[in-house]
Amino acid sequence: MSEMYIHSAATFTAEGHTGTNYLKEEIRRYTKENFRRVNRFILLTLLGARQCIAAHTLDGDTAIYLTTEHGILGETADVLDEIYAISSLPKPFGFINTMSNTAAFYLAQNLGIRGRNITMSSQQLSFERGLELLKVDFAGGVERSALIGGVDEASLSQKTMEDHADRGWRMMNGSGWFYVKRERDGACGAFTAIRSFGSGTSCMRWISEKERSSVDVVSFGALIVDEEAASLRKILKPAAEFDYLSDYGYCGSATACGISMFVKLCPGKTLLHINRDQRGNYAVVEVEKF
Amino acid sequence: MICALGDTLEGIVDAARHKKIRLAHLPFTLASLPYSKPYYLIQRDERDSLDNRSEAYFYEILFSAVSRALLNAGVGSEESADMHVFFGSTSMDVPVFEGNHRRTLTSVSGMFLHASNGYGKIASSIAEKFDIRGSCYSFATACTSSANALLYAAAMIEEGHIERALVVGYDLYNNLGFYGFEALKSLAALEYRPFDRRREGLILGEACGAVVLEGKRRKVDDFTFLGGANLCDTYSVTSHDEEGSAVAETMRRALRQAGICRDDIDAVKAHATGTENNDRTECAAMRATFGHSIPPVTCVKPFIGHTVGACGVSELILFTESIKAGFIPSTPGFLEADTDLNVTPLTENMDVGKGIFMLNYFGFGGNCTTLILSNKDATG
Repeated sequence: MSEMYIHSAATFTAEGHTGTNYLKEEIRRYTKENFRRVNRFILLTLLGARQCIAAHTLDGDTAIYLTTEHGILGETADVLDEIYAISSLPKPFGFINTMSNTAAFYLAQNLGIRGRNITMSSQQLSFERGLELLKVDFAGGVERSALIGGVDEASLSQKTMEDHADRGWRMMNGSGWFYVKRERDGACGAFTAIRSFGSGTSCMRWISEKERSSVDVVSFGALIVDEEAASLRKILKPAAEFDYLSDYGYCGSATACGISMFVKLCPGKTLLHINRDQRGNYAVVEVEKF
Repeated sequence: MICALGDTLEGIVDAARHKKIRLAHLPFTLASLPYSKPYYLIQRDERDSLDNRSEAYFYEILFSAVSRALLNAGVGSEESADMHVFFGSTSMDVPVFEGNHRRTLTSVSGMFLHASNGYGKIASSIAEKFDIRGSCYSFATACTSSANALLYAAAMIEEGHIERALVVGYDLYNNLGFYGFEALKSLAALEYRPFDRRREGLILGEACGAVVLEGKRRKVDDFTFLGGANLCDTYSVTSHDEEGSAVAETMRRALRQAGICRDDIDAVKAHATGTENNDRTECAAMRATFGHSIPPVTCVKPFIGHTVGACGVSELILFTESIKAGFIPSTPGFLEADTDLNVTPLTENMDVGKGIFMLNYFGFGGNCTTLILSNKDATG
């Protein structure tokens, strides 16, 4: 695959009830800009991404790929309440900030970059699909450097709560980011494989064929059930497993957060992250640390 | 496509040719405001009444538009299984919760927070309904959403990652958008007049458009995607730099990516929202890109309204289907040139055959997208 070298990675997580005032205090550690009219989602985006590039100077053409499961939840609910419960027009900036791409805009503005700016989603596989878009842009020579991340507010979705409650995952706010370039110089790792499969069988076949090549650490996305994880462990025989969902909690962007935590914090040279969506499509991301 | 002009391509093109435009006027009842504003509503029959809308209506419109697109492209069930879905929208599933709200005591925000399945739900529903096994990509970049969906679908085909894509742009009426744009004082009171000296803002509309993209031509008159670009103008979250530098750079990069020069462009479909800032910025960018020889320009929003995230696909369909029928539609409502803009859009339909065309889209959050299409090598 085309070169996707990781030059830095960072994760910002906060408990579900964390207020925006705390997030505003935190962001002052990275920038002097005063963000007045921003919401939790925008602050999470800024916090994860600013941490990620703290030690780097970005090229003006650097692209931003913001992936998310739910986008802006809190402020959208507030604006709906202004219309339906308070019976008024919404506040202008409240309405503008219901659009999730405003987070990627504020990030670009804060960093002074004006490259490609994409906000996208894909049920349960948002980060993996975002990586695919970046891969295409790198392969086509459209981009040379990019910030790619996953951001989600703690969701109150009844369904999500029910799905995850029995697995003991607590709900988190999460923002996981990577600074990725086509150049290897100065990189701390690389995305060495980003693969999609239409079924568990084809995914398992690909993984089986990889058996001989070593995988230090394996991690599983939220929809990989225990039996399936056991089968995969049997094939892969990893030295360790990184259970980031149990260790750090769940949010819609847990995959981005988990993989960036591996790069930043965990022992082990290679990670294979296996995930699936509700339709039975699988995605595998392989990361190597240098 | 399903929009205010109708639900058949023939009907939509005929309405564009003869300027048969239908505008509804909607009140701001929830905010107790004593006036209404125009809106381009889908008006097929009683089903489309705002009072009758719910989740079932949302998906009926969506699946109907997708079904017609697949049928029109002659995509069989085996071929559709291999497709990948690229979806673009501004409002995503907000109309579902607003519609369902009428039938329950639960608040809209409560339903939204507790039942939302995320931005990817709609694309996944398309895949499930039509037994599409490929990946789903949902774009949320405000008014460029479905234009960016097209840009990536084409790039993935070009790079050999996928063979075939279904690209959908969908935004249905929702109070969040209608009341929100009114709060911004962006809505025109009476008529849609982009690029006109007396323009007074935008008029929203709703549409669902779907197109099939593939590496080979399926019909003799199919258009080819030559290239495109996306950049971020960091001037302001709500407006673009009036000098138009980022917008012009997007156009230039799209030309370069398509491997053509500015003189190769035969006509431009402008974004042309009719707001003071957009039109000023866009015209400055066209002057910077094309110099003194700006190609013929048309603004199609006065036909179907500003369909926000859906406009990437819906305006592409209206524009290309009109060209297939032999004309580029003029800009209805345009009466008086604005000397500051120095761009006069087509005031009469223009006969056209083959050509290379630029389609521009801009949105909140500084998003700028330009697509370049051609039917020059089409044999139809």
